[in-house]
Amino acid sequence: MHFLELLVELLLMPILAFVIGLAMVLMMRRIGARIQRRVGPPVLQPIYDIIKLYSKDTQISHGLMHEIGIIMAVGGYIAAETLLPVPGLDGLADKGGAVTLAYMLMIPALGMALGVGQCANPNGSIGISRALTAMLAYDIPFILVIFGASYVYGTTNLAEMISIQQQQGVSSWGIVQMPLLALTALLILPAIMGKHPFEIYVAPAEIATGPMVEMSGKFMGGLFVMQCFQLYTAGVIFTTLFLGGGVYWITFLPKIFLVVAIPMSVAYLFPRYRTEDVLRLMWKWPMLLGLIGLAVVMK
Amino acid sequence: MNELDKIPVRQEISVAQGSVKRSNPLANVFDELVRFCQSRSMFMLHYCTGCGAIELPPAMTSRFDMERLGIQPMVTPRQADILLITGYVSVKTLKRIILTYEQMPAPKYVIGICSCTVNGGMYWQSYATAKVLKEYLPVDIYIAGCMPRPEAVISGLRDLMGDIKSGSASNWKRYFQNYDHYLGNQQKLFDEDWQTPTDIIAEAEHYGLITDQTLGEHTALLQKHQQPLEALEFSLGEKREKIRGENQ
Amino acid sequence: MTALDTLLLISAITVGVALLAGNWRVGGWLVTILYALQGAALLMMSGLGYSTLTVVQSSFSIEVLSEQLLWRFDALSWFFALITIGAGLFSSWFASGEWGERYRDNGGSLRLFHGALALNVFTMLVLLASGDLLTLFIGWELVSWASFLIMALAGGKAFGYAMRYISYAFAGAMALLGGLLLIYAEVGSFDFQSLKEAAPQMQASTLWLLVVLLTSGFGVKMAILPFHLWQAKAYAQTPGPGAAFLGAISSRMGLFAFIVVVVQLIGISRLVEMEIPFTFLDAQDLLAWIAVFTIIIPTYIALRQHDARRLLAWHGVGQTGYMLLGIVIANDLGSAGGLMHVFNYASYQAMLFMVVVAVIHRTGTSDLNKLGGLFTRMPLSYLAMLIGIIGLAGLPPMNGFVSKWLIYRSLIVDGSPLLFLGAVIGTLGTILSVYKLIHNIFLGQLRVEHVAVREAPLSMVIPMMALAVIVFVTGYFPGLVLDWTSAVQASIGIPVLAHHLGGVSMKGGLDMIWIVSVLLIGFGFGTLVFFLGGRSRRVHQLDNYAGGHFLTAETRYHYSDNFYPGLMHLIGPWYRNSFEWLERGVISAVDTLSTAMQGLYRNAHPSYLLLAAVVFALSWVIV
Repeated sequence: MHFLELLVELLLMPILAFVIGLAMVLMMRRIGARIQRRVGPPVLQPIYDIIKLYSKDTQISHGLMHEIGIIMAVGGYIAAETLLPVPGLDGLADKGGAVTLAYMLMIPALGMALGVGQCANPNGSIGISRALTAMLAYDIPFILVIFGASYVYGTTNLAEMISIQQQQGVSSWGIVQMPLLALTALLILPAIMGKHPFEIYVAPAEIATGPMVEMSGKFMGGLFVMQCFQLYTAGVIFTTLFLGGGVYWITFLPKIFLVVAIPMSVAYLFPRYRTEDVLRLMWKWPMLLGLIGLAVVMK
Repeated sequence: MNELDKIPVRQEISVAQGSVKRSNPLANVFDELVRFCQSRSMFMLHYCTGCGAIELPPAMTSRFDMERLGIQPMVTPRQADILLITGYVSVKTLKRIILTYEQMPAPKYVIGICSCTVNGGMYWQSYATAKVLKEYLPVDIYIAGCMPRPEAVISGLRDLMGDIKSGSASNWKRYFQNYDHYLGNQQKLFDEDWQTPTDIIAEAEHYGLITDQTLGEHTALLQKHQQPLEALEFSLGEKREKIRGENQ
Repeated sequence: MTALDTLLLISAITVGVALLAGNWRVGGWLVTILYALQGAALLMMSGLGYSTLTVVQSSFSIEVLSEQLLWRFDALSWFFALITIGAGLFSSWFASGEWGERYRDNGGSLRLFHGALALNVFTMLVLLASGDLLTLFIGWELVSWASFLIMALAGGKAFGYAMRYISYAFAGAMALLGGLLLIYAEVGSFDFQSLKEAAPQMQASTLWLLVVLLTSGFGVKMAILPFHLWQAKAYAQTPGPGAAFLGAISSRMGLFAFIVVVVQLIGISRLVEMEIPFTFLDAQDLLAWIAVFTIIIPTYIALRQHDARRLLAWHGVGQTGYMLLGIVIANDLGSAGGLMHVFNYASYQAMLFMVVVAVIHRTGTSDLNKLGGLFTRMPLSYLAMLIGIIGLAGLPPMNGFVSKWLIYRSLIVDGSPLLFLGAVIGTLGTILSVYKLIHNIFLGQLRVEHVAVREAPLSMVIPMMALAVIVFVTGYFPGLVLDWTSAVQASIGIPVLAHHLGGVSMKGGLDMIWIVSVLLIGFGFGTLVFFLGGRSRRVHQLDNYAGGHFLTAETRYHYSDNFYPGLMHLIGPWYRNSFEWLERGVISAVDTLSTAMQGLYRNAHPSYLLLAAVVFALSWVIV
């Protein structure tokens, strides 16, 4: 019985993540449109896009690894979502923890990188090189945040972090306990999501959307699905670490949407940073804030 | 005797008939849904060949906002559904347009914007300009004008949406089905050793789009000149060894 | 005759057979079978690996200067011997087929190669079996010379790098000898037990000197900072599978000796007491920081390499840092992670070297700017490399993730954010550079000259695949290796890690069986989602978007050189070759000194000696 429940949870978690992720993609595009004084896409636009991409009549593949890469990208996120506790669904949160999750999230990125490599398009490879460099940039402050949170809550288990924050009220929330680390996380959030102004690795006009240059039809569709998971994951991790997670979806959903909306609203106002400037920026301010924040919480 | 009779009437090519089963399992079951989604999500690749391109930014930005219709600009042919050709097409450019068109995944649509794509427009007398775009590519919709206003562009795109929704926008199949005809026109313009990296015949075969008019004298000429374009297949040794032996 | 006698005897026979029959067509296979027999002899002692046996003595011993020299195996020796023999077995297997024939045809002496490899294994086993400090030193010297032999085999440049190694090794051995003499002066015996009993009473200053001497001695072999310069070039130039063997295990001997003497006998708790004046640091922190810099600096040097073998060899130096870091932290998690990393690292490093050697075998180059697109030509090698790089980068589901996870977790438990940060920076650098490795060799454009390349022969592919299976299975069921590391922890007196087949049983633990299963099922669903779309058609690599450009086979468009320009733009100026500069400084100082000495003794000595004698006599008279 218990096993069956777990099975249902494991199935439900990625599905929920996908549906919420779709809504987040819509929100992101709407925010972008509103900032540019446009109307923006209709409500079901993300679904139209994905169905259209999957239903292309000709699907162009550059070889087996191109296909496996996309499978890894989508499959890796499906697996990672089960490590991410949400209201009512703990999934496998006690089998891994924050560190495991951080490394699980690199599997889809690796899959995509390998798939793009197989395409033999130099634009794609340049994009991957930039994306990996950006990962090096934002992961260093990110790891400080993970460390700080694990230290403050005394555990790396995300489900336990939520229950600690829920039991002890708002004053025990991460954002109150470690405001500097929360700020660090907020600063690197757009980079983690690969959005403006840190989307030099996509750079449509210069390197023809970089990693996506040879992605057509269901390959591109897979990446659209991956983007949904990506936004959702970023929102939930931040909420879990700093905003007390949630016991009920009704309180949890506004939090994760807010977390994704803040960097999106700010991001569209800035021009793009060059790769070395991303590094410089990430290793300066978020890093400094993170170290100070860490020093404060560890005293 | 009327002067008009002497003008040769351009013969419309006959569309080869054949019930093509779509390769996509989704498309067979949820035909209407798929067509609806395809009409509501159009990624366009604008090949800005001429002055018409200047009308696209206003169509995309705050005044007219194409995104509310699900139309987005994309930058590579692999991601695009619509190829917008926005102005006169020189012979040199046409080669790139054909290359780009062939790299797009079907279903794909071509929109010719400005009079120049219809009949050469003011470049009628130019020796370096391909006048009638539809001789080389199956064009779905022309948006005439010099240049058409953003309203006209959007109206044209809406017409295309309607066509896609009703399933009548299937010109992309004609390129596969009548490849010999299009290739003949291309060869006439470029030279007989003209080829693109995309193997259209093999693609037509793969997706069951081949008809008796796909192959002909022009494709025979192509196959004579063509470099082999098979995808790199796996090899674990045995087969390769034989081929090497034969070469030696 | 004990099991240890059998093992050493078979190992000695292997050396003999290799030297005798190495050049025969079946010679390599004969030697490989003998390695398997060594493995069987080792399995006779497998009780050591599961804490059911504590020690296996050798019946052979000699008496020197009233000191009983003896050899014995405990859990630590068994664990390292397992890796050594495994590495020997797979390397020799790899060398026995087509690679060996090609090597012989090109004028190499297979007899010497197999002999050197077998000698390496034998001397390492002797070192691992050492039962007191004197036998440890004997074993140490034997191992140094055996490694020199195999490094120097290729001649030419390789000989130069081997000479560089042996100079380092001499310096290290001198430091070690000094340390041992110091111990003898303090303790009065070379016995392990008496050192262990005497260590807590030693004065801090003596202990400092001892730790510095011993750590530099062992550190040279481990190639920790600042002794890291010799290793990568020397290993990269070693012929084919020899590099795989050396890369996998050779420098771990330094770690073994470090564990035996510093961790087991002197004790980490003693190091913690040794504070460095005017800082917050103690000796343990110092070692941990050395380990972290050993992770970071070589890893980022590896990022700049464009020769596949050098890249891997530099990562070998970097990964040593993780092992040392874990062991120096010395809590149950960290030491288990450090020890497990020895095993994990050996498994994928050997495999990665083998893949690169296979690529060299087929294409004739390991230059990352001259390869590309070999995935369709060498798919099994690609698979091996993929599994290997996932392991090396420390991502799930491979075994490298588990050991790194243990080390990270131990640093979180320990509350050391900066060490943790350093370890993660190393991991990120590794991810960047291994992607470059696999991308430049196997992905991207296939060059015209490589169109007819074939998959490596079975004699090469089978060892790779076997290692790939080991890497995956020990990642899926890390408990298999954690059993052995727990036995080691028990035998060297470190808290034992509570574990089960899937990983670590603790609050906020790790269960790889769940993680990997869910990942595989996720991939399954990913496949389902993928096949919702229509049938895909494979296209030629030239059918590629190039901004409307027509690609031809002559166009070299594989993006490989200076793969991370953005990163290098920023951190490029940080590479200052300071250590190279330091090394050159030391060399020229030694050079000047020796010239001066030579001048003193050879050319000017009569007058100088006269002067000295007069001064001495005068002073004696006056005083």
